Amino acid sequence: MFKFKFFIVTFIFVSFLIITSVIKNQSRVLEKKIYNLKTQVKLKEKNLSETQLDFYYLTSSSEVEKKFTKNKLQEFEPIKYSKIYFNLTDFTTIKKKLTSLKDLHEEKK
Amino acid sequence: MKKKNRKNNQINQSSFYFEDYLETNKKSQIIKKKNNFQDRIYLLFFIFFSLILIFSFKIINVSLSKKEISNLSKQNSNFSLLRRDIVDRKGIIISRNINTFHAGINPKLVNDKENFLIKLRLIFPDLPVKEIKQKLSGDKYFRIKTRIDQNEKQKLWSLGEKAIKFEPFQARMYTHGDLFSHIIGQVDYDNYGISGIEKYYDRELKDKKLKNKPLQLTLDSNIQFIVNKELKNAVKIFNATGAAALLMDVTNGDIISLVSLPNFNINQRETITEEKYINKITKGVYELGSIFKTFTVALALENKLVDVDTIIKNIPKKIKCSIYEITDIKDHPRNLTVEEILVRSSNVGSVILAQQIGENIIKDFINITGLIKSPSIELEEVGAPHKLNWNKCKLETISFGHGITTTPLQATTLYASISNGGNLIVPSLIKDREKTVGKRIISIETSKKLTNILRKVVSSEKGTASLADKEGYNIGGKTGTAEGYGKNKHRINSFISIFPSNKPNYTLFVMLENPKINKDLIYNYRGIKTKAPYNTSGWNSVFVAGKIIEKIGPILAINNEEFLNQHVVEKIN
Repeated sequence: MFKFKFFIVTFIFVSFLIITSVIKNQSRVLEKKIYNLKTQVKLKEKNLSETQLDFYYLTSSSEVEKKFTKNKLQEFEPIKYSKIYFNLTDFTTIKKKLTSLKDLHEEKK
Repeated sequence: MKKKNRKNNQINQSSFYFEDYLETNKKSQIIKKKNNFQDRIYLLFFIFFSLILIFSFKIINVSLSKKEISNLSKQNSNFSLLRRDIVDRKGIIISRNINTFHAGINPKLVNDKENFLIKLRLIFPDLPVKEIKQKLSGDKYFRIKTRIDQNEKQKLWSLGEKAIKFEPFQARMYTHGDLFSHIIGQVDYDNYGISGIEKYYDRELKDKKLKNKPLQLTLDSNIQFIVNKELKNAVKIFNATGAAALLMDVTNGDIISLVSLPNFNINQRETITEEKYINKITKGVYELGSIFKTFTVALALENKLVDVDTIIKNIPKKIKCSIYEITDIKDHPRNLTVEEILVRSSNVGSVILAQQIGENIIKDFINITGLIKSPSIELEEVGAPHKLNWNKCKLETISFGHGITTTPLQATTLYASISNGGNLIVPSLIKDREKTVGKRIISIETSKKLTNILRKVVSSEKGTASLADKEGYNIGGKTGTAEGYGKNKHRINSFISIFPSNKPNYTLFVMLENPKINKDLIYNYRGIKTKAPYNTSGWNSVFVAGKIIEKIGPILAINNEEFLNQHVVEKIN
């Protein structure tokens, strides 16, 4: 009786031990994979961060102006009169009303 | 058979004691054998159990410790940025930390020093060779170059020299160079803010909980660029020693642009001690001159002492105050309305109004608006206006902006408060902030009257700011020509504008320091080609402000009603 109990306990203990070690090994493999993925994400984040910085530098007004001047294009400046509408209603109301003086002159002719 | 059994019985029963002895002996032998067997099992069990215990302890130990992983994660944690980003109102990055390296050398590990030096020189031709040669002959570790980029690191790496060490380091990068130098400030090599926003918000910028949330400013990069460009041009055209501009939203105090020239590239850390590099908008303290006349008229109207069209009769050419004589630069008619006093910028007229208002009302106004206190803004670099000594002529001189100093930021804020309907606003550089409703300093009625007068300063024939009358933007404002306060008497030509004056949205302050007349510059003054007759703000600061508004107007999406009314007619059908 004693022997039987002893072997049962030992068997359970050993089997749990083996299962634990297997699970542990698997979890370590997973941890390594997670770590590798995290590393990749961090590298991508780093690249993205630096690319964003480059983007904002290269598209800053002063850099754009430099490129315009270098390529002998016209002076870089915003449109002279405001043609920006605050909303669609504003836009449609004005567009409905709109007839340029040029059109009127053409009608007169 | 019987015989045999008997024999056996005889042998066995030879002696009772002997028989007993034999039995006992056999039993003890069996027990002994049995005990030996049990001992061996126990020993085996003990050994086996000990092994299990050792393994289980090892497994527990291994599972609890994450030494390897934590070490690896430490190696990779360098990307964790030490400071948050700073972005403009549209989310454009103004400053961000990047990973970089310092390159150092351990001379003990260099085998062929001469050869190594040649290789180094090939990569970095500007390196001080003599100095490095001297250091290489010693034993101490030293840095050859700080803040190297990836390419430089790669080149050094390719030398295959084990003596070269790369120290990881985080550098702060400013994408716009000198554009925001006076606002953003700088950080030291340990990533501590040492000036500007970087210093004021040092703790918040290093807060790890907010790591992914950038600090958003009210500034607009594109508008800042235009203002900066126009001011730089103005410095060249008028040969000025410096210039400054401030654009503010009158409804909430958002600062959209703040430029102070000369500025400096904040990517290159230098110790700047020269006074000309101060932030003229927040730290510069000036006598702003005629700009104060608007406040005098505002108080006279608010206290119902006069109305816009009240005629002040018999205005003398000069008023004597103590030993000083207060005069006007130009000759004005003897009778002027209150509106004309401001439009023509009459010093004597302002003095008469101030005398009617009285010292107490003006004192209260100065206290409520905090004009002579340090300005409230999210920067460390703020000026302290000089204390007012209410001597004999103080009331009179204050009425036209002399004998009182303030910062351009405070003067612009007050103009914004006057034009927004009379609510005192608090200027700010931070977009996400608690917005408080300010005290009322003047009534809506007075505010409307004043904006109308300010519009006439620009639009009317007698006004002093005609050059800023840009079609479609309804610009109003007031000029100020004065001298700097202190030992060095600088000439300060300034102009504060509000636009569009029919429904004020923005206020723009433009200041030129020591401008000169440009003899080659031809102005289009009300359709007439002319050269500048005086070195007053009307001929330089106003000219610059007009140019700026013309360019930033479309970006600010101001509905150009004047343009539409003039060039667009309604279709009948």
